[in-house]
Amino acid sequence: MNKRGEEKILAIYWFVILTLVAGGIFTMTILFYNHPYDVREVESQILINNIADCLSRGGELNPELFEGEEFSEEFKTNFLQTCNLYFEAEGGEAEEYYSEITIYNASRLDLPVYEINAGNKNLVASCNIQEEKKYKREARCMEENLFSVKGGKLYLIKIMSAIGKAKENVK
Amino acid sequence: MVARKRGSLLMENFVFIALNLIFLILLILFLIKQGQGAVVLEQTYAKEVALLIDSAKPETTMLLNIEKGKKIAEKNNVDIEEIIEIDSENHIVTAKLSEKGGYSYSFFNDVDATAYPDKTNPQEIVNYVIKVNSYNHE
Repeated sequence: MNKRGEEKILAIYWFVILTLVAGGIFTMTILFYNHPYDVREVESQILINNIADCLSRGGELNPELFEGEEFSEEFKTNFLQTCNLYFEAEGGEAEEYYSEITIYNASRLDLPVYEINAGNKNLVASCNIQEEKKYKREARCMEENLFSVKGGKLYLIKIMSAIGKAKENVK
Repeated sequence: MVARKRGSLLMENFVFIALNLIFLILLILFLIKQGQGAVVLEQTYAKEVALLIDSAKPETTMLLNIEKGKKIAEKNNVDIEEIIEIDSENHIVTAKLSEKGGYSYSFFNDVDATAYPDKTNPQEIVNYVIKVNSYNHE
């Protein structure tokens, strides 16, 4: 084969490679942009922050948490409304949020003195199975601790939040 | 004879390089277009606004740059007033950049919020005002 013929074959070969590269990039781009942005971790963190702001203000436990010296049962009942949270889902579907608050006396961390939970309890199972490995179709869970005082007593507040919303955040 | 051969060789190389360049430009344009598509931007705006509302306290005013979205909305005949809508009752943000499209995302902060184009400079609207007015139950 002469030099000119070789060049032609090389050129065809080059364009075959370019087409393959283009095909690869096209497929990768389509796959990448077809996946929704997963914002549940940020959302979960914001939910924890909002709950923390509601329970503890300036390092002191919210006075609404107490009825005299005891923790208030009314606060527990009206937790979502008092903390300005809205967990209901549209069209009677299952709620996509869950939050759990456990308060301990700092001198006795094995016995909670007060517990609140709100939202879809089924999401807790997702949190339990993700302790070692994350599964993207499961709810995103997060837990934060903070200390707060009331009447000279130090309390530890554990806040756990879980966000479902797999349909909107995962493909 | 030699001169013609040289000329055709130069032409072939020129065509080859030109085709490669066209290929690269098309690829880059495709990548840019994909990243700025209506579907991607609708999702970005809806989620951004929902997260902003979630983390905001009452009487907070925020500005969101919608320059890219505005261009797409204009192309798709979507009114600028309809790009971002907040349903405070059902706690849902909807971003719309095409007539048939639209993406909704919910927020958990129980607030009354409104969204409207920032008309400080009516000739060139580049921002959307996201205003968190008050808690729904005070």
